[in-house]
Amino acid sequence: MKRFVGMSVTLAALVGGLVLLAAGFYWVAAGLGWAFNWAGIHWLGTVPDGTVSAAAIHFGASVGNVLTLMLVLLMISGSLLTVAERKWSALMQNRIGANRITVGGNPLGGIPFLAADALKMLTKERIDPAAATRLLFELAPLLSFAPVFALFAIVPVGPPIDLGALVGDAAGAGRSIALQVASLDAGLLYLFAIASLQVYGTALAGWASNNKLALLGGVRASSQMISYEVSLGLSLVGSMMAYRTLRLDEMVVAQGHPVLGGFPAIGLLLQPVGFLVFFASAFAETKRAPFDLPEGESEIIGYFIEYSGMKFGMMFLAEFLEITVLSGVVTAVFLGGWNPLVVSTEWLRSAVSPLWFGAICAGAFIVKMIVIMWLQLTIRWLLPRFRYDQIQQLCWKLLLPVALANVFVTGAVILIDPSLQLLAWLGLGIIAGVVVLVLAAGRPAPARAGDHAHAGGH
Amino acid sequence: MSSEVEAGARTEAVAAGARASELDAPLPTKRMLVNLGPSHPAMHGTTRAVVELDGETIATCKLDIGFLHRGFEKSCENVTWTQCFPYTDRLNYVSSIMNNVGFALAVEKLCGLEVPERAQYLRVVTSEIHRICDHLTLVGAMGLELGAMTVFLYAVEGRDLLWDRLAELCGARLTSNYARVGGVTRDLPDGWTDATLRSLDRVGALRDEIDGLLSRNRIFTDRTRNVARVPRDEACELGFSGPCLRASGEPWDLRKAAPYLVYDRLDFDVPVGTNGDNLDRYLVRIEEMKQSDRIVRQCLAQMAPGEIAVADVRYVLPPKPQVYGTIEGVMAHFKLVMEGIQVPAGEAYGYTEAANGELGFYLVSDGGGRPYKLGLRAPGWPMLAALPRMLEGGLLADLVPTFDSINMIGGEVEQ
Repeated sequence: MKRFVGMSVTLAALVGGLVLLAAGFYWVAAGLGWAFNWAGIHWLGTVPDGTVSAAAIHFGASVGNVLTLMLVLLMISGSLLTVAERKWSALMQNRIGANRITVGGNPLGGIPFLAADALKMLTKERIDPAAATRLLFELAPLLSFAPVFALFAIVPVGPPIDLGALVGDAAGAGRSIALQVASLDAGLLYLFAIASLQVYGTALAGWASNNKLALLGGVRASSQMISYEVSLGLSLVGSMMAYRTLRLDEMVVAQGHPVLGGFPAIGLLLQPVGFLVFFASAFAETKRAPFDLPEGESEIIGYFIEYSGMKFGMMFLAEFLEITVLSGVVTAVFLGGWNPLVVSTEWLRSAVSPLWFGAICAGAFIVKMIVIMWLQLTIRWLLPRFRYDQIQQLCWKLLLPVALANVFVTGAVILIDPSLQLLAWLGLGIIAGVVVLVLAAGRPAPARAGDHAHAGGH
Repeated sequence: MSSEVEAGARTEAVAAGARASELDAPLPTKRMLVNLGPSHPAMHGTTRAVVELDGETIATCKLDIGFLHRGFEKSCENVTWTQCFPYTDRLNYVSSIMNNVGFALAVEKLCGLEVPERAQYLRVVTSEIHRICDHLTLVGAMGLELGAMTVFLYAVEGRDLLWDRLAELCGARLTSNYARVGGVTRDLPDGWTDATLRSLDRVGALRDEIDGLLSRNRIFTDRTRNVARVPRDEACELGFSGPCLRASGEPWDLRKAAPYLVYDRLDFDVPVGTNGDNLDRYLVRIEEMKQSDRIVRQCLAQMAPGEIAVADVRYVLPPKPQVYGTIEGVMAHFKLVMEGIQVPAGEAYGYTEAANGELGFYLVSDGGGRPYKLGLRAPGWPMLAALPRMLEGGLLADLVPTFDSINMIGGEVEQ
């Protein structure tokens, strides 16, 4: 009981901390927005004195978001994930996990390992293969690192809130800032475009290393990632049709609208098949177990076999950042984004000040992201690896037809009932069906009495 | 005119033929020679596999062993019979007591010795515990090779529990050096039986958890089913034994076929597979662990107090009070240590069902204190020799799991 209370308190403190963090993000965005406006007035002369320029505010807020969302949220959660993976895998495997670096005798949950790892990577001897293609070899870690950041730009972490209400200045009224770096009309198309850039880092690393095992890894990576991009793209078409937009921020708003008697129309409800296909495909894009064939540490060691020091570190970190980005996209498209689901968004908007409304919503978003990250870590430590031919079969024979069927069925259902009620009922039915199937398949194996005479009874 | 037409038709036909053959022609790909090992994170022991790849398909596979060669057979000729036991520890180092027992049985066959009943039970108990260790290692490594590391750590937890029990008994986790000609070195410590039963319960729970995580896991079964199949007749021809042979469908187990020690008094089953693929080799081992568990429990229930070694100073060191108190004791001790056991001249083949299959010791004695010649039938050897045959035509990703499924142990194969 004591333990339960302690865990509950920790959890509440975590959520509270995230909300405070989000409030801080909003302040940074607002402050930089004002700073740019001020600079526009006093230094550049582009903004008429005494007015507020929407462009300057927007620009400043975006710069603030780059600093807070990308450098703080994405980078820190990505690096914390390296520790979380160690700790969580240790929990799953009846181990204690990383605890040998202590600060004043306290291992602090393994967090000091972050600094130790970074220090080790940075100070390690640099060993470059002599026959490597130098330019591509150096470029590959950058190419696997950069697109991940670019991807996070369109993830809407927090809702737009009124700047006037935030700083208590009537002049700012009507100008809103949101926790999203770039709100693009192309939205999901941008996501597909940048996601397909990721393959270059891996493929080039394998190609340029002048190592046969790395080459195998690179070839595996490119075939796997190009295949899964197809189902990745198709799996989101249903969501685009249901919410009639490509923009992620609009999708999130649409997911707050009630359907089925007040329940919000979240993507998981309207598009359960799309969610499953997207999650599987995006998981394959992150190249982690069970899709870690390009790495395959027990067969070919991986496409980064020739990389040492921080160049390896960047590829390693890119993998964890991909987890974060994938969680962000899944949250935004399928889990209702920043809509805090437990309470009505409309009620919350009227109940608290705009700043705290935004902060609570952004906190809800981050909590959902953490849940999806946890899910990914669990899957990674639970399942064995696919084989090269099986992974292609899974993609082309299962995920792709299912995604295509999902597109047609979703389109037909939306044509019949544009209010999405029918789609929600269908989704509910599918979720129930999946749950029943999982329970049926997950039941304990029938007692194998007398089975010893044919152990391989398949 | 007509000849022109003919010529034109002929060129067309030739062109059509060329097109048709182009359609048939496989894409000319270059084969790639990849060297896995001897220092490769996934290679068991230190082995080199030179693999010629056609894409991801293994075209040819050559194994290069010998990196762990220690000259076991020759070394044994230079030491006394008793001093051979530590060498046998290093054969299959995951289940060393089985090697001890195998060697002891062969020497006793040559001497015509009958070991006391309690010693026989102790040998069976420790051997079967080591069989569980061996199979746990393999099953866990199978998960590890396929990327499921969690399973491996569960298996290691179980194995370490059992090794702790054996360390309480023989003082070492790995190199147990437990059996002797004429008996065993130590009797069970106080409370050992209860502790072992508790450990077995825990190991059983871990084993069931591993079984639950792998046996019904679609990815695992897809990756192991019909991979590296060895049909029954082929397995017999290749000289397979042990779990690999039984996985192919041949119900041959030395513990049943030619019972030794007290196996004829114990109730256990011999699991048999049907397909001879990696999945069957895995399933057979899971089932064998359950049977070994049964055997250990039966033995612990049946055992009665008694001598743990023959009371014959020609074979077994006399008790210490006798050594310190009597001249006969000192002399016997001195002769045994300096000259070794005087094994009657002759030759004998001793066999046991070790964790990997038939472990055979062929001994020749010239009546002296040292083996004149010693030959080892390592159980892993025929399976290892068959490995290229099992792998060729398969995928590179299946190389390491298959390598694991035959449980190649460098120590015993390379001697």
